[in-house]
Parts: sequence; C-alpha cells; structure tokens
Amino acid sequence: MSPPAVPADVQAALDQVACGLLRLDTYGTILRANATACDWLGYARAELQGRKLQDLMTIGGRIFHQTHLAPLLQIQGSLSEVKLELVRRNGEVIPVVMNARRRENGGSPCDEVALFIARDRDKYERELLLARRRLEDAVAQERDRALLAEQMVGIVSHDLRNPLQTIQMGAVVLTRGNPSPEQLGVLGRITRAGERARRLIADLLDFTQARLGRGISVHPVPIALHSVVAEVVDELGQAYPARRLVHEPSGQGECLADADRVAQLVTNLVGNAIAYGDPGSAVTIRTAIAPQGSSLSVHNEGQPIPPELQASLFEPLVRGTKAGSGNRSVGLGLFIVREIARAHGGRVDVESTAASGTTFTVTLPRPDQ
Amino acid sequence: MSIGKRNNVRASGSGPATLLFAHGFGCDQNMWRRLAPAYATRFRTVLFDLVGSGQSDLFAYDRDKYGTLHGYADDVIEIVQEFAEGPVVFVGHSVSAMIGLLAHLKAPDRFAAQIMVGPSPCYINDGDYFGGFERKDIEGLLETMEANYLGWSSNMAPAIMGAPEQPELSHELTNSFCRTDPEIAKHFARVTFLSDHRAELPKLQAPSLILQCSDDIIAPRAVGEYMHAVMPGSTLAVIENVGHCPHLSAPSASADAIDTFLAAHGF
Repeated sequence: MSPPAVPADVQAALDQVACGLLRLDTYGTILRANATACDWLGYARAELQGRKLQDLMTIGGRIFHQTHLAPLLQIQGSLSEVKLELVRRNGEVIPVVMNARRRENGGSPCDEVALFIARDRDKYERELLLARRRLEDAVAQERDRALLAEQMVGIVSHDLRNPLQTIQMGAVVLTRGNPSPEQLGVLGRITRAGERARRLIADLLDFTQARLGRGISVHPVPIALHSVVAEVVDELGQAYPARRLVHEPSGQGECLADADRVAQLVTNLVGNAIAYGDPGSAVTIRTAIAPQGSSLSVHNEGQPIPPELQASLFEPLVRGTKAGSGNRSVGLGLFIVREIARAHGGRVDVESTAASGTTFTVTLPRPDQ
Repeated sequence: MSIGKRNNVRASGSGPATLLFAHGFGCDQNMWRRLAPAYATRFRTVLFDLVGSGQSDLFAYDRDKYGTLHGYADDVIEIVQEFAEGPVVFVGHSVSAMIGLLAHLKAPDRFAAQIMVGPSPCYINDGDYFGGFERKDIEGLLETMEANYLGWSSNMAPAIMGAPEQPELSHELTNSFCRTDPEIAKHFARVTFLSDHRAELPKLQAPSLILQCSDDIIAPRAVGEYMHAVMPGSTLAVIENVGHCPHLSAPSASADAIDTFLAAHGF
C-alpha cells in the first residue's frame, strides 16, 4: 500500500502538528499516521500502518466502538469528542479524546481521525465520578441514619406510654386516698407533668408517623366545631390559670373534621401563643363556620416572628425566637399542626407583625371539596 | 401508554408475512435504514425501539422488568399481536436475536422463523465455551460508557461535522441516534453482556438463519458455529464483514443471505 506522495513541507507540518492524525479505511485499518500519533502510541510508522485502530483499544473500548462508534460513523459520517483508552506498544494505557470524519478519498471512503491526549481531563473526570459516588453513598447513609433515628423515636415513644400510664394511674388512686394538702400539691404536679409527657409522646408518635411516609391519620366526621373548641379552651384555661383565653365563635353549623385532632391543633397553637406571646394580654381563639369552608385561628400579642423564620416555622425541630417557659420541648408542635391540617385537606398560615401580633390560621375545606 | 408509543413502533408495507426488525445494544431502529426499506415492497415490515433506547418511552423503563431479556421478549410478543399480519419472521441484531428466540419460545404460534444478525447466546467465556469476553471486559465497557456519558448531552451529536454530506439525516435523528439515559444504557449493557441463553438454543425447532460476520469481536465465528451446532433448524451464513453491524456496513451481502433463507422457506 503506497499512499500518494505528499509534498515534503506539508508532510513535515502534518507530522509536527500537536495532535495525532490517522487516516483509516472504513474497517478501521490505519492507512496513514503522523509522527505525533506514532510517538504517542509508541509505534514506528510502519508498525502502525496496516493495524486496526480498534486493536489499540481496551476490550471495553472495542465493544463500545463496535456497538456505538462504528454505526455512528457509518450513519452520520462523523464522531466528536469520544473518549477512549488506547494501549501503547509498551502496554501503557493512555486516555484520548477522538474526533473522526468520514470522507470520499478517490472513490473509496476513509475516516480522518484526530486524537488528543486527555490525561488531565481523565484525571479530573475520574475525580468527578469518584466525588459523585461518594456523595451518593453519603446521601444514602444519611438517609438510612435519619430513618433509623425516626424509627427509634417511634419505638421509644411507644414504649414510654405504658410506664407513664402507670404513673398517672397511681397519682389518680393516691388522690382519692385522702391525701394531705401538701401531698395533694405534689400529686397535682405529678398529674400535670404526666399530662405534658403524654402530649409530648403523642407528638413524637405523630411526628414519626408523618415522617415515615404514612402521614398523620385523621377520621373526619361532621362535628360542631365551636363546642369542640370551646371545651378545649376551657380545659386549657384550667391548665394555665394565669392567662386569659378568649374564644370567639362565628357562623353556624357543622364542619367535617376529626374532633381529637382539632383538640390537638388548638392545644398546640394555644401552647405556643402562651409560650411566645406577651404574658400580659389575652390569647384569642376564633372559630368560623362559613359556606366556603371553616377556619380556626389563634392570635397573640407580642414580639413578631422574624420573617426569615416564618418560612421554616412548620418544619420539624424549628423553634421560635426565645425558648419559652420550658413546657415547649423539641419543636414538633407546628409541624404536627401542619400535618393535621393537610390530612384534612386544609392548610395552615401564619401572619406576624409588631402592630397586629401573631395569628395562626388553619383553614379546613368544605366537606364536598 | 400504547405499545406503539412505548416502543416507537413503525410499520409499513404489506404482504404475505411480517418482518419484525429489532435493533441491538447501542443504537436504535435507525440501524436498519440500509436493509429494511427494500423489504417493505414485498412484506409488511415493523421496526421498533427497545424500551430504554432511541425514541422509546424512557418512563416505561422498569429495572426489574428489563433486568433480564424476558422483559423485552414480552414486549415483542405484544408488538407482534398489535402490528403483525400473517406469519412473523423476526430479524434480530445482536442481543435482540436472543430476545427474538425467547419471544418465539414463549409464543411459538406467532413466529415462523428467526433471522439472527451477529447473535451470541453468551458473551462471557465459560469453560470450553468461547464467548469472546471475560467479566472484567464488561466492566471496562461500562467504564468507557461512563466516561463518554459524562458529556453525553453533546458528545454524540455530530455538531457541524459530517452531516452536510448526508442531507437525508434530519437534525432530530442525528441528535437522538445512539443516545439514551446513561443509567439505562449501563443497566442494559450489564443485562446484555452478562446474559446466558445457551440452554434455550436447542429448544427452537423453527427455521433460523445465523448471519455471521467474518470478523466480529462481539460475536466471533466460534459463537456462530456453536449456535449452528446446537440449533436443530439453523442455517449458518458467513458474510465478509469487519465489525458487528453487517446490516450497515454490508447491506447487500446481508440482504442476499436473508433472501436466500426466506426463499428456501417459502416466503
């Protein structure tokens, strides 16, 4: 095989050009190679000519060549920026980027190939891949860890309920047994602390239920919203005798909701209002029944919630600005409020300004929506 | 999602039988562009993309279903039921030859013959059996694919090069041909190259043509000879071709071998 002569100065320029140049027949046989290609591949020109380019590829590269590159060249007549590994004569593997273009060459088509060594790009890309894999592993590990933690919280909360119930029952029995005023005071504190612990455990169980994918369960039935809330407000008034709670109902009729969950909503929102609001002013609870849907809101005066906190307020474990009076614990209350509202097909919104105080409003859609 | 959309099915022509063309690992039904059109004058021809390739519906790619070639074979049977007329001759390239074989064994009444272009029942060497590759070679392929998919949004596109010489190629075609989601491509590569269907070969009683290239590293001659030896109704035709895609690089020799086979079996 003797390729037509190339003028000496052109040949010299081609040989010295800063990329490897190969001309192949359509089967991949190397017809010509410039000096750079020979140098990079470690072969003498005569050794390279007559060899197939694919024979210089790694085995994986050969499969890729046969299944992707050869058909592409055949059909679209060109390839660009394909990355391959070529094996040098001494066995060393070098990463290259390859462009190829098919053209007519005096009646028989041939492929003009340009090769560029890509060691740095290869290193960089390997690091990228490694970083991506590490990241994927870290995310997966973190997800497992979070899941385990949530499962643990669920299990522990569940198991805490039984001993707590024994303590609360014990306090009830002792209260009936004619205790001294001093003992009665202690029993009262035991009962209130037990009640707080019970609510916290209920919150934790709801939290894990919501987080582990099943969502908070609700069983909505037609309820008289005003009287359900009035009763809860009354109980809360006894629990917080130092604070003034005002209930303002409006509209008439029933709404579709889960009464226990509504009580939980009111308890959480009023608890927050008492913990974070101005101790000298009233907490107002409004319930409204209207044809377009029902709503329930809790308002307090005092320092507003900073705007940057409002966006994340309903996420679990986010607390208000000051750490309250100690009876709010891990910041699950508003998360659970949101989950209960969502489980009803409703929503919760907050408005908080220095002038008008803070209002949390839960809207429940009309039963037919 | 209809089967036609899921597999990007293209049917044309009509005739006494249907030729159903299935592409192999790597590209899509465009691989048949130099072979299939001529058959549409004599037969009904049906082309499609395997789910995960070409213009198929990538959302239909279920890693469990397509974790073996059986998932693809089930799709083929559905395509036959909806698009084929008369007896079906399945023309499968590379891995699709095995997909066709599995479909044939699952629904023997629906297929008349198998034409296998560059087939291999098992790519990995195993004892006396020579498949051509070791397991680590397949890992090497996955690495090469990964390296090229790093920039997969651009590297397969011909950009400006080449296309002007072949104006029949639309922009859409050049940009989509041979490309798919990198994760799907890697999974498909694993499923393809680690599959082993040697045990099914002797079960095929219908006529089959093994179209063997003279120089093909993916389906070496020893593999074609092995298949011919164990498949009762098989014909082995070796054509002079370097590479794994004779339907692209040697379309007329491929067509001659297929025509001879079809004529011998009364099509």
